[in-house]
Amino acid sequence: MTTTETVHDRIGTARDELTTGQLLAVFAFVAAATFALLFLQDPLAHDSMHNFRHAAGVICH
Amino acid sequence: MLVDYLERGVLAGAIAGIAYGVYMAIVANPLIGYMETLADGREHGGHAHGTGDHSHEAAEHAHAVSEATTAVVSVGSGVLWGILLGGVFALAFYFLEPALPGRGRLKTYVLAGAGFLTVSVAPWLVLPPATPGAELAFDPTVRSAIYVGMMVLGALVAAVSIYGYRRVSGGRGLLGVVTAAIPIVSLVAVTAVAAPTVVESGSTPTALVTAFRGLTVLSQAALWTLVAGSFGWLQARAGVRSATDRREDLLTSP
Repeated sequence: MTTTETVHDRIGTARDELTTGQLLAVFAFVAAATFALLFLQDPLAHDSMHNFRHAAGVICH
Repeated sequence: MLVDYLERGVLAGAIAGIAYGVYMAIVANPLIGYMETLADGREHGGHAHGTGDHSHEAAEHAHAVSEATTAVVSVGSGVLWGILLGGVFALAFYFLEPALPGRGRLKTYVLAGAGFLTVSVAPWLVLPPATPGAELAFDPTVRSAIYVGMMVLGALVAAVSIYGYRRVSGGRGLLGVVTAAIPIVSLVAVTAVAAPTVVESGSTPTALVTAFRGLTVLSQAALWTLVAGSFGWLQARAGVRSATDRREDLLTSP
Protein backbone atom coordinates (compact mmCIF):
# COMPACT_ATOMS: atom_id res chain seq x y z
CA MET A 1 0.00 0.00 0.00
CA THR A 2 2.41 2.64 -1.18
CA THR A 3 -0.03 4.54 -3.40
CA THR A 4 -2.90 6.72 -2.25
CA GLU A 5 -5.85 4.78 -0.86
CA THR A 6 -9.36 5.51 -2.07
CA VAL A 7 -12.77 5.07 -0.47
CA HIS A 8 -13.28 2.17 -2.87
CA ASP A 9 -10.20 0.42 -1.42
CA ARG A 10 -11.59 0.78 2.08
CA ILE A 11 -14.88 -0.88 1.07
CA GLY A 12 -12.85 -3.66 -0.52
CA THR A 13 -10.74 -4.13 2.62
CA ALA A 14 -13.85 -4.30 4.78
CA ARG A 15 -15.33 -6.91 2.45
CA ASP A 16 -12.18 -9.04 2.60
CA GLU A 17 -11.78 -8.80 6.34
CA LEU A 18 -15.35 -9.45 7.44
CA THR A 19 -17.22 -12.67 6.76
CA THR A 20 -20.89 -12.72 5.69
CA GLY A 21 -21.77 -13.89 9.18
CA GLN A 22 -20.03 -10.93 10.78
CA LEU A 23 -21.73 -8.49 8.39
CA LEU A 24 -25.11 -10.06 9.17
CA ALA A 25 -24.36 -9.74 12.88
CA VAL A 26 -23.50 -6.06 12.45
CA PHE A 27 -26.69 -5.36 10.46
CA ALA A 28 -28.84 -7.32 12.94
CA PHE A 29 -27.28 -5.36 15.79
CA VAL A 30 -27.92 -2.01 14.08
CA ALA A 31 -31.54 -3.09 13.44
CA ALA A 32 -31.88 -4.05 17.11
CA ALA A 33 -30.41 -0.72 18.22
CA THR A 34 -32.88 1.14 15.98
CA PHE A 35 -35.68 -0.92 17.48
CA ALA A 36 -34.50 0.08 20.95
CA LEU A 37 -34.51 3.75 19.95
CA LEU A 38 -38.08 3.48 18.68
CA PHE A 39 -39.05 1.55 21.80
CA LEU A 40 -37.82 4.50 23.85
CA GLN A 41 -40.75 6.49 22.47
CA ASP A 42 -42.62 4.69 25.25
CA PRO A 43 -43.86 7.64 27.37
CA LEU A 44 -42.05 6.69 30.61
CA ALA A 45 -38.66 6.18 28.98
CA HIS A 46 -39.20 9.16 26.71
CA ASP A 47 -40.12 11.49 29.57
CA SER A 48 -37.25 10.43 31.75
CA MET A 49 -34.87 11.63 29.02
CA HIS A 50 -36.64 14.99 29.02
CA ASN A 51 -33.71 17.13 30.21
CA PHE A 52 -31.28 15.41 27.88
CA ARG A 53 -33.53 16.02 24.87
CA HIS A 54 -33.67 19.72 25.72
CA ALA A 55 -29.90 19.92 26.30
CA ALA A 56 -29.06 18.13 23.04
CA GLY A 57 -31.54 20.26 21.08
CA VAL A 58 -33.55 17.22 19.97
CA ILE A 59 -37.02 17.83 21.29
CA CYS A 60 -40.56 16.62 20.63
CA HIS A 61 -43.23 17.73 23.04
CA MET B 1 -9.22 -2.90 10.60
CA LEU B 2 -12.87 -1.82 10.47
CA VAL B 3 -13.46 -3.46 13.83
CA ASP B 4 -10.37 -1.75 15.31
CA TYR B 5 -11.67 1.63 14.15
CA LEU B 6 -15.11 0.91 15.62
CA GLU B 7 -13.55 -0.16 18.92
CA ARG B 8 -11.54 3.08 19.18
CA GLY B 9 -14.60 5.08 18.11
CA VAL B 10 -16.75 3.61 20.86
CA LEU B 11 -13.99 4.24 23.40
CA ALA B 12 -13.56 7.84 22.17
CA GLY B 13 -17.35 8.22 22.33
CA ALA B 14 -17.36 6.93 25.90
CA ILE B 15 -14.69 9.48 26.92
CA ALA B 16 -16.64 12.32 25.27
CA GLY B 17 -19.95 10.94 26.57
CA ILE B 18 -18.75 10.87 30.17
CA ALA B 19 -17.67 14.52 29.87
CA TYR B 20 -21.06 15.34 28.35
CA GLY B 21 -22.79 13.40 31.14
CA VAL B 22 -20.94 15.53 33.70
CA TYR B 23 -22.12 18.66 31.83
CA MET B 24 -25.70 17.29 31.93
CA ALA B 25 -25.43 16.69 35.68
CA ILE B 26 -23.89 19.98 36.77
CA VAL B 27 -25.15 22.45 34.14
CA ALA B 28 -28.04 21.25 31.94
CA ASN B 29 -30.17 19.48 34.58
CA PRO B 30 -30.30 22.39 37.05
CA LEU B 31 -30.71 24.96 34.25
CA ILE B 32 -33.59 23.11 32.58
CA GLY B 33 -35.22 22.50 35.97
CA TYR B 34 -35.05 26.24 36.67
CA MET B 35 -36.42 27.15 33.23
CA GLU B 36 -39.20 24.60 33.72
CA THR B 37 -40.36 26.19 36.98
CA LEU B 38 -40.05 29.64 35.42
CA ALA B 39 -42.26 28.58 32.48
CA ASP B 40 -44.75 26.88 34.82
CA GLY B 41 -44.93 29.94 37.10
CA ARG B 42 -45.67 32.33 34.24
CA GLU B 43 -48.21 29.92 32.84
CA HIS B 44 -50.22 29.79 36.06
CA GLY B 45 -49.89 33.51 36.74
CA GLY B 46 -50.70 34.68 33.22
CA HIS B 47 -53.50 32.49 31.90
CA ALA B 48 -55.13 31.73 35.26
CA HIS B 49 -55.63 28.01 34.48
CA GLY B 50 -56.99 28.32 30.94
CA THR B 51 -58.75 25.13 29.88
CA GLY B 52 -57.21 22.96 27.16
CA ASP B 53 -54.10 25.14 26.87
CA HIS B 54 -51.55 23.18 24.84
CA SER B 55 -48.38 24.28 26.59
CA HIS B 56 -50.04 23.73 29.94
CA GLU B 57 -50.65 20.12 28.95
CA ALA B 58 -47.06 19.88 27.76
CA ALA B 59 -45.79 21.09 31.12
CA GLU B 60 -47.95 18.55 32.98
CA HIS B 61 -46.87 15.85 30.55
CA ALA B 62 -43.19 16.52 31.31
CA HIS B 63 -43.71 15.54 34.93
CA ALA B 64 -45.03 12.03 34.26
CA VAL B 65 -41.74 10.78 35.77
CA SER B 66 -40.14 12.06 38.98
CA GLU B 67 -37.51 14.79 38.63
CA ALA B 68 -34.82 12.61 40.20
CA THR B 69 -35.45 9.86 37.61
CA THR B 70 -35.35 12.43 34.80
CA ALA B 71 -32.06 13.81 36.10
CA VAL B 72 -30.37 10.39 36.37
CA VAL B 73 -31.69 9.04 33.05
CA SER B 74 -30.74 12.29 31.30
CA VAL B 75 -27.13 11.97 32.52
CA GLY B 76 -27.05 8.34 31.34
CA SER B 77 -28.54 9.37 27.99
CA GLY B 78 -25.75 11.92 27.64
CA VAL B 79 -23.13 9.18 28.03
CA LEU B 80 -24.94 6.91 25.54
CA TRP B 81 -25.28 9.81 23.10
CA GLY B 82 -21.48 10.18 23.13
CA ILE B 83 -21.00 6.44 22.54
CA LEU B 84 -23.49 6.48 19.63
CA LEU B 85 -21.79 9.46 17.99
CA GLY B 86 -18.34 7.92 18.57
CA GLY B 87 -19.35 4.60 16.98
CA VAL B 88 -20.99 6.20 13.95
CA PHE B 89 -18.05 8.61 13.65
CA ALA B 90 -15.53 5.75 13.56
CA LEU B 91 -17.45 3.76 10.93
CA ALA B 92 -17.79 6.86 8.73
CA PHE B 93 -14.11 7.71 9.30
CA TYR B 94 -12.97 4.25 8.27
CA PHE B 95 -14.68 4.52 4.88
CA LEU B 96 -14.19 8.25 4.25
CA GLU B 97 -10.62 8.72 5.55
CA PRO B 98 -9.06 8.62 2.04
CA ALA B 99 -11.53 11.24 0.78
CA LEU B 100 -11.11 13.73 3.64
CA PRO B 101 -8.87 16.78 3.19
CA GLY B 102 -5.96 17.56 5.51
CA ARG B 103 -3.46 15.10 6.86
CA GLY B 104 -3.23 12.97 9.96
CA ARG B 105 -5.39 14.07 12.86
CA LEU B 106 -6.77 17.10 11.01
CA LYS B 107 -8.97 14.67 9.05
CA THR B 108 -10.76 13.61 12.24
CA TYR B 109 -11.71 17.23 12.98
CA VAL B 110 -12.96 17.76 9.40
CA LEU B 111 -15.23 14.72 9.76
CA ALA B 112 -16.37 15.84 13.23
CA GLY B 113 -17.28 19.24 11.75
CA ALA B 114 -19.25 17.54 8.97
CA GLY B 115 -20.98 15.37 11.59
CA PHE B 116 -21.86 18.37 13.75
CA LEU B 117 -23.28 20.16 10.70
CA THR B 118 -25.31 17.09 9.73
CA VAL B 119 -26.62 15.95 13.09
CA SER B 120 -27.19 19.30 14.80
CA VAL B 121 -26.51 22.57 12.98
CA ALA B 122 -28.55 21.94 9.81
CA PRO B 123 -31.70 20.76 11.68
CA TRP B 124 -31.33 23.66 14.16
CA LEU B 125 -31.53 26.18 11.32
CA VAL B 126 -35.22 25.24 11.02
CA LEU B 127 -35.88 23.77 14.48
CA PRO B 128 -33.73 25.76 16.94
CA PRO B 129 -33.15 24.12 20.36
CA ALA B 130 -36.43 24.52 22.24
CA THR B 131 -36.48 25.94 25.74
CA PRO B 132 -38.78 24.35 28.34
CA GLY B 133 -42.27 25.80 27.95
CA ALA B 134 -41.75 26.76 24.30
CA GLU B 135 -44.65 26.51 21.87
CA LEU B 136 -43.88 24.38 18.82
CA ALA B 137 -45.70 24.55 15.48
CA PHE B 138 -46.77 21.37 13.60
CA ASP B 139 -47.20 17.96 15.20
CA PRO B 140 -44.22 15.80 16.33
CA THR B 141 -44.34 13.57 13.21
CA VAL B 142 -43.98 16.55 10.87
CA ARG B 143 -41.22 18.01 13.03
CA SER B 144 -39.33 14.69 13.05
CA ALA B 145 -39.62 14.57 9.25
CA ILE B 146 -38.23 18.13 9.03
CA TYR B 147 -35.37 17.17 11.38
CA VAL B 148 -34.41 14.10 9.32
CA GLY B 149 -34.78 16.02 6.06
CA MET B 150 -32.45 18.75 7.33
CA MET B 151 -29.93 16.07 8.43
CA VAL B 152 -29.86 14.73 4.87
CA LEU B 153 -29.45 18.27 3.52
CA GLY B 154 -26.69 18.96 6.07
CA ALA B 155 -24.79 15.82 4.98
CA LEU B 156 -25.12 16.88 1.32
CA VAL B 157 -23.86 20.39 2.08
CA ALA B 158 -20.89 18.96 4.03
CA ALA B 159 -20.05 16.62 1.14
CA VAL B 160 -20.30 19.40 -1.49
CA SER B 161 -18.17 21.64 0.73
CA ILE B 162 -15.39 19.05 1.10
CA TYR B 163 -15.57 18.15 -2.61
CA GLY B 164 -15.29 21.84 -3.53
CA TYR B 165 -12.27 22.29 -1.27
CA ARG B 166 -10.43 19.34 -2.80
CA ARG B 167 -11.39 20.30 -6.35
CA VAL B 168 -10.32 23.94 -6.19
CA SER B 169 -7.22 23.88 -4.03
CA GLY B 170 -5.98 20.37 -4.56
CA GLY B 171 -5.98 20.17 -0.78
CA ARG B 172 -4.33 23.50 0.11
CA GLY B 173 -4.89 27.22 0.06
CA LEU B 174 -7.22 30.02 1.01
CA LEU B 175 -9.27 29.72 -2.18
CA GLY B 176 -10.21 26.20 -1.10
CA VAL B 177 -11.42 27.42 2.28
CA VAL B 178 -13.57 30.08 0.59
CA THR B 179 -15.01 27.50 -1.81
CA ALA B 180 -15.75 25.17 1.10
CA ALA B 181 -17.55 27.97 2.95
CA ILE B 182 -19.92 28.79 0.04
CA PRO B 183 -22.35 25.83 0.43
CA ILE B 184 -22.50 26.29 4.23
CA VAL B 185 -23.10 30.05 4.06
CA SER B 186 -25.76 29.49 1.37
CA LEU B 187 -27.56 26.94 3.57
CA VAL B 188 -27.60 29.37 6.51
CA ALA B 189 -28.74 32.28 4.33
CA VAL B 190 -31.54 30.32 2.61
CA THR B 191 -32.93 28.90 5.86
CA ALA B 192 -32.71 32.31 7.56
CA VAL B 193 -34.96 33.75 4.84
CA ALA B 194 -37.19 30.83 3.85
CA ALA B 195 -37.65 28.62 6.94
CA PRO B 196 -40.93 29.02 8.86
CA THR B 197 -40.78 29.90 12.56
CA VAL B 198 -41.39 26.59 14.31
CA VAL B 199 -40.26 27.33 17.86
CA GLU B 200 -42.04 30.11 19.74
CA SER B 201 -40.22 30.68 23.04
CA GLY B 202 -43.26 32.28 24.67
CA SER B 203 -42.83 33.96 28.03
CA THR B 204 -39.21 32.87 28.66
CA PRO B 205 -36.92 35.96 28.70
CA THR B 206 -35.11 36.43 25.37
CA ALA B 207 -31.68 36.66 27.02
CA LEU B 208 -32.25 33.33 28.78
CA VAL B 209 -33.36 31.71 25.50
CA THR B 210 -30.22 33.02 23.76
CA ALA B 211 -27.98 31.79 26.60
CA PHE B 212 -29.67 28.38 26.55
CA ARG B 213 -29.24 28.03 22.78
CA GLY B 214 -25.63 29.18 22.99
CA LEU B 215 -24.93 26.54 25.66
CA THR B 216 -26.63 23.85 23.57
CA VAL B 217 -24.62 24.72 20.45
CA LEU B 218 -21.31 24.97 22.36
CA SER B 219 -21.86 21.75 24.32
CA GLN B 220 -22.64 19.75 21.18
CA ALA B 221 -19.64 21.29 19.40
CA ALA B 222 -17.47 20.37 22.39
CA LEU B 223 -18.83 16.81 22.29
CA TRP B 224 -17.82 16.42 18.62
CA THR B 225 -14.40 17.99 19.24
CA LEU B 226 -13.82 15.60 22.12
CA VAL B 227 -14.89 12.59 20.01
CA ALA B 228 -12.48 13.60 17.21
CA GLY B 229 -9.67 14.47 19.65
CA SER B 230 -9.96 11.23 21.62
CA PHE B 231 -10.28 9.17 18.45
CA GLY B 232 -7.17 10.78 16.95
CA TRP B 233 -5.28 10.19 20.17
CA LEU B 234 -6.32 6.51 20.27
CA GLN B 235 -5.36 6.07 16.60
CA ALA B 236 -1.93 7.60 17.23
CA ARG B 237 -1.47 5.44 20.33
CA ALA B 238 -2.27 2.34 18.26
CA GLY B 239 0.27 3.49 15.66
CA VAL B 240 -2.24 3.84 12.81
CA ARG B 241 -1.10 6.06 9.95
CA SER B 242 -2.87 6.35 6.62
CA ALA B 243 -1.18 5.29 3.38
CA THR B 244 -1.32 8.90 2.13
CA ASP B 245 0.60 10.19 5.15
CA ARG B 246 3.22 7.48 4.87
CA ARG B 247 3.73 8.26 1.18
CA GLU B 248 4.01 12.00 1.81
CA ASP B 249 6.59 11.36 4.53
CA LEU B 250 8.64 9.26 2.15
CA LEU B 251 8.52 12.05 -0.44
CA THR B 252 9.45 14.86 1.93
CA SER B 253 12.05 13.14 4.12
CA PRO B 254 13.72 10.24 2.36
